[in-house]
Amino acid sequence: MNRALYVAKTGLEAQQFRLAAISNNLANANTYGFKAGRAEFDDLLYQNVRMPGAQAGQDPANTLPSGLQLGVGVKAVGVQKIHTQGNLMITDNQLDLAIDGKGFFQVLDPEGNIMYTRDGSFQVNQNGDVVTSSGYLLEPNIQIPPNVTDISIARDGTVFAKEPGVAAPIDLGQIEIAMFINPAGLESVGQNMYYETIASGAPVVNNPNNEDAGALIQGALEASNVNTVEELIGMIEAQRTYEMNSKAISAADGMMQYLNNNV
Amino acid sequence: MDRMLYVSMSGAKEALLSQANNANNLANATTDGFKQDFNQFRAQHVEGPGWHTRSYSMGERPATDFSAGPIKVTGRSLDVATKENGYMAVLTPNGDEAYIRSASMQITADGQLVDVHGNPMLNAAGAPIVLPPVDHFEVGNDGTISVVPAGAPANEVVVLDQLRLVEPDHRQLEKGLDGFIRQKPGNDELGQANIRVINGALEGSNVNTVQALVTMIELTRKYEMQVKMMKTSKDHAGASDKILSIR
Repeated sequence: MNRALYVAKTGLEAQQFRLAAISNNLANANTYGFKAGRAEFDDLLYQNVRMPGAQAGQDPANTLPSGLQLGVGVKAVGVQKIHTQGNLMITDNQLDLAIDGKGFFQVLDPEGNIMYTRDGSFQVNQNGDVVTSSGYLLEPNIQIPPNVTDISIARDGTVFAKEPGVAAPIDLGQIEIAMFINPAGLESVGQNMYYETIASGAPVVNNPNNEDAGALIQGALEASNVNTVEELIGMIEAQRTYEMNSKAISAADGMMQYLNNNV
Repeated sequence: MDRMLYVSMSGAKEALLSQANNANNLANATTDGFKQDFNQFRAQHVEGPGWHTRSYSMGERPATDFSAGPIKVTGRSLDVATKENGYMAVLTPNGDEAYIRSASMQITADGQLVDVHGNPMLNAAGAPIVLPPVDHFEVGNDGTISVVPAGAPANEVVVLDQLRLVEPDHRQLEKGLDGFIRQKPGNDELGQANIRVINGALEGSNVNTVQALVTMIELTRKYEMQVKMMKTSKDHAGASDKILSIR
């Protein structure tokens, strides 16, 4: 059957995949701690239809100088997460935390495995534990006693609170953050959470603002790093390329139709 | 039966193949770093006794268009594109060197600098680049890789390595069946060249989509003409049969 049809089909699929990645970025343009993804493509293999150097005639000196190699299309390699810092938005909520610099908060999934996130909109559950907005426990666990008033979280992750009538603040613990050599290799599992993979490397856990770990900013959240203008341009590009590839399918179809109608 | 049918058929078949080549260019219109393939037809005489009255057409890929694509600024420190006629080098799975003009790099868990497909980037000495844990990564405009090691103060920049940058003669480059761009066999190894790179940018595909759409129309019409000739030869055969029929 007609090769061009299948090649153009890969073009359509690639642009569809790209549009899906762009839509996901745009949908999460206001998600705290979200990191944009970029669709990456790769040209597929080439097939040798005519070998360069093959005989072109009966004279042995008559060989093909270049031959014919046909590409078989394009494929999506994957979506690469771009881990650049998002803007900090001041909320003045005592349990809103943003990481200014590298690192991830560690939270526990229901099975007790550690997940990583940049989304620091924490709350307190019925037991007084600090949890994410989805209810996952912060690791290491921080307990907020019921009667405290001011909670203050320093840049280095130490948590203090004031009890009414007590002069000295009480120490509630230490928030730690994890860093990865290749954050782009983390596996996204939704809810702004990531799991460690072989590609990301093992986490290096440290106190915030210590060595290369980012500092904690209390009363602020990290906005998504989605560049909406860039995404919209990508959307235009994806749509037009999609249309061109569908034209290639129509052309291949027209050729077949012409053959069927005339011979 | 007139041989003309076979000549037209070869024309139609080659137009179909060329349409596939053109579709491959269009399919890769947004593949970063892709270089479009040329396509041409050549007349091939049928050799033998008597006059050369028959020439078949033959499609071929004479070369790849190595002109630069558009530079897209991404702002990501691990994205690098080369300027002028420069190329960066990666290590292919076959263990030889291939050249790219656009690299969306990543650092693997063991600190290796690889392109988006996982092929190691090569340094000026032609060896894969390995990085310590870093806080900050930057490529200077001569391909120098400078980093702030993990835990060091932000002003403590360490120069680690330099990307292998080459300036090959485009006529001596070819795209292999695996899509990698290499030097044609028999060329001397390329030395480190003094070319500029842009950090935080990628090079888009150099496919000229307008040209590809026009080529598509041209090939479609060319194909239809061949099919028309096939139909003509069919009519000729029909007419000959009529002359020979008894009544």
